[in-house]
Amino acid sequence: MTSTRTTVRVGALALGLGLAVSACGFGGDSGDDSGSGGATLDLLVPSYSDGTQALWEGIIKDFEAENSDIKVNLEVQSWDNINDVVRTKVQSDDAPDILNIDAFAGFAADDLLYPAAEVVSEDTLGDFQDSFAENASIGDEQIGLPLIASARTMFVNTDLMDKAGVTAVPATWDELLAAAKKVSALGGGVYGYGMPLGNEEAQAETSIWAFGNGGGWGDADKITVDTPENLEAVEFMKTMIDEKATQPDPGATDRTPLINVFMQGKIGFIEALPPTVGEIEKNNPELKYELAPIPTKDGEPVTLGVADHLMAFKNDDDKKDAITTFLDYFYSTDVYMNFVTTENFLPVTKSGAEAYDNADLQVFLDALPDAQFYPSTNSKWSATQGAFQSLVGQIGQGKDAAAVLKEIQAKADG
Amino acid sequence: MSIGKTRPPKSRSRRTGSGRAGRELLSALPWLAPTLVLIFAIVLFPAGYMVWTSTRDVSEFGVDRGPVGSENYQRLLEFDAIPRVLVNTVVWVVGVVLVTILISLALAQLLDKAFPGRRLVRLAVIVPWASSVVMTSVVFYYGLDPFYGILNRALVDVGILDQPYGFTKNTVSAFLVAMGIAVFVSLPFTTYTLLAGLQTIPEDTLEAAQVDGAGPARTYLEIILPSLRPALAVATIINIINVFNSLPILRTITGSIPGYNADTTTTMIFKFIQAERQVDTASALSVVNFVLVLVIILIYLRVVRPMRED
Repeated sequence: MTSTRTTVRVGALALGLGLAVSACGFGGDSGDDSGSGGATLDLLVPSYSDGTQALWEGIIKDFEAENSDIKVNLEVQSWDNINDVVRTKVQSDDAPDILNIDAFAGFAADDLLYPAAEVVSEDTLGDFQDSFAENASIGDEQIGLPLIASARTMFVNTDLMDKAGVTAVPATWDELLAAAKKVSALGGGVYGYGMPLGNEEAQAETSIWAFGNGGGWGDADKITVDTPENLEAVEFMKTMIDEKATQPDPGATDRTPLINVFMQGKIGFIEALPPTVGEIEKNNPELKYELAPIPTKDGEPVTLGVADHLMAFKNDDDKKDAITTFLDYFYSTDVYMNFVTTENFLPVTKSGAEAYDNADLQVFLDALPDAQFYPSTNSKWSATQGAFQSLVGQIGQGKDAAAVLKEIQAKADG
Repeated sequence: MSIGKTRPPKSRSRRTGSGRAGRELLSALPWLAPTLVLIFAIVLFPAGYMVWTSTRDVSEFGVDRGPVGSENYQRLLEFDAIPRVLVNTVVWVVGVVLVTILISLALAQLLDKAFPGRRLVRLAVIVPWASSVVMTSVVFYYGLDPFYGILNRALVDVGILDQPYGFTKNTVSAFLVAMGIAVFVSLPFTTYTLLAGLQTIPEDTLEAAQVDGAGPARTYLEIILPSLRPALAVATIINIINVFNSLPILRTITGSIPGYNADTTTTMIFKFIQAERQVDTASALSVVNFVLVLVIILIYLRVVRPMRED
């Protein structure tokens, strides 16, 4: 008798604890404090660098000094968290008024966003470079406001190249394979090609290879991952791994730590970003390196372009004017160029491109005309990107390239 | 003399008993109310909401598109990696809890003995408990990094490894490392629970055993272990729940491993949310997860009968 009752009691304790532990993460208040005349805007942005928060705070302070009736609440989140934060906010009816993130198509598909024309003036709208405006449109209507552009290019450790006896910077896949194998052969923790296929940004590395073979991931209507061009590219990546031209365990190596290893001078070749130039300058100015176009199958130049966007949520039509005032202020040339250059990115406005002046990064700006983008206006792209991040690395763990692409295609279709 | 005589009439006693219990419950309600409200707000309501979400179609940005019945659960069944994930979960829970209990039994026995410096050793055992699990995991993660981890470096310098090994980059080794860390952070709580249990065993029982000629092994198996049963039950159940629901260790150590070979149901819930953007499927798996932990505990209570008081 006693024992059954105790059992029940412990069972109940277990039930309570189980419930308490398995059901967590509930948040969300819908504070609405837009007063008469004035307005309070919630601005949610990701952190591009350690200085992002201070940069936005400065912009907001100057803006509020000019527009005393508008208050801007800033919230900065890391890239790891921002998708979850936005999702939770939308779910609990507490979406930010202005959001800075990579893709906008999913929000647009749920009809949460204002079209661009409703939240910026005509001058601001006309100032975006055409290719970026197109990349920010669904059909004929521009929804996203391009914020910054980034492109990849190959960083080459020239010291290691000399030591390994590689005379010319590789321009094709076969040259890259040969050169990387020579650098890997130096040994002592030095590796030829840095291939980050961990879940941080595996889709970027894979895209660089697929685009280099004339492949791609489809368009706004259809995601095409499992195609012959893409398969050939991924198979060549696997060849690079199998012939030990890359660092060990590429499938579980994230980009940021791997770029750090390049900065320490232990990797011959790696695809990296404009801000990497500044980081090398700061952390290891001794490093002898140069920037070169990305090697492709036949040597035709190509790069992966990425544009992040601002977008305005339909929360309260009374706030629309305040949003327009803030966005027009932000895209005025001085404010905007201060943002872009401080973060070491590339401008996406026509006035910005004219004002741009940075010889170090010119090679990135030159690469932009050959840039290809993710099909981020396809609402399936986010899930596809997630599938790349968690699955493509399996080619580094012995799984067959065709099977991996099929698996990702299935996620994109499902 | 006879027992039957002193027993009061059965039926009357039950009636008055239940009536009094009802009144007592009613008068206790004002004092219980705050707790009940709290339990409802932070336990029952979220759990109910989770079950409800698992039957909805929620868009990847959190917009509810209406009911879908059991579709989310069907999607789980069709998910290829589920068998492997379930096996991982069992290995993870059983392995970590079992090793934790065994080591803790030994540690508790050691800490129960008087020896110089015992206080310092007891303090040292608490340390992993006092530090954040994420922090502990990250320290190990960086220590084992093949490029700049000092543990890897030490293994190479000592000559055990020819070159750094990606402990956290390969499925099996990373899973084992994660299990090791889980044991490490579970030890303090378990050891102290068992130590408390040890200290409730009366000295004279042990002396009596000694007088009767029981050796150390026999004393341990027939006196100490049975007396520890309630403490072991608490330690095991709390550990099962904790380990089963543990996200941070696996997330930190095996997080960069592609595919689903190093996932348990708990990390899988997270992947459904983050990578697959399916809040609804994640809710369905959470419900399954919850049922699973209940079943594991009920099996444990049934098979081991830790609360038996005979």
